[in-house]
Amino acid sequence: MPINKHITLENQLSELNTLAAAVESFAEQAELDMKTQFNLNLALDELVTNIINYAYDDESVHQIEITLSHDDAIIVIQLTDDGRPFDLTKQPNPELDKELEQREIGGLGIHFIRKLMDKITYQRIDNKNQLTLEKQLHEEGA
Amino acid sequence: MNINVNEGNGCAVLALEGRLDSNTSESLAQQLNTTIDGGQPNVVVDFSQLAYISSAGLRVLLMAAKRVKASKGALILCGMQEHIREVFEISGFLQILTVTDTQQEAEAMLDSTTA
Repeated sequence: MPINKHITLENQLSELNTLAAAVESFAEQAELDMKTQFNLNLALDELVTNIINYAYDDESVHQIEITLSHDDAIIVIQLTDDGRPFDLTKQPNPELDKELEQREIGGLGIHFIRKLMDKITYQRIDNKNQLTLEKQLHEEGA
Repeated sequence: MNINVNEGNGCAVLALEGRLDSNTSESLAQQLNTTIDGGQPNVVVDFSQLAYISSAGLRVLLMAAKRVKASKGALILCGMQEHIREVFEISGFLQILTVTDTQQEAEAMLDSTTA
């Protein structure tokens, strides 16, 4: 049976706790394993943290809309924000093979999202960023 | 997230509990700075009660590792749960940070390098 969950977050970092609780409840309903739950939470955390820290030019309260859907062996996440245009899919990968002293942290969140998700699609619609992420669940136990 | 600070054998032991994300990483950064500024460049971070980490947490640990290295000290991470270890793995951080299974191994490693 398909399961859908909608979450609305405000642009403050304390909302990451709301996000974690919502992902947990979605994972329970969809009977996802702990690893899948952790990885979904991580990908969403990185996206939401990026939006909260970098998307807005003003000090106003903004809403970030997230929909989680589970059907059969696929999870689809849709994330919408009204921040400045930002196409995640066009960002470069970080350099992961540097020594400690030269290693930089930028881009690691995006690297996680690419690693943890199978497909990422970006659209700019009605002055909003809309990101769709897909995760196939066929490799359970892998 | 809670941070319990204890004195180990020639090192400070910071035991993390809860979630290390962009909402909580600053408190760990402050504690690490307090410890290192207080003259203790040998730091063990115990992950056994940590449930979650994001790139914000990795950032703080990377900065601390650079600081202790500059002070001729060591940062050792121990007791990671599997999901958290995987985050370190996909970051390439297992190659640049020192990770042990247990706190005892971490302290023994410090003992042998500082002796």
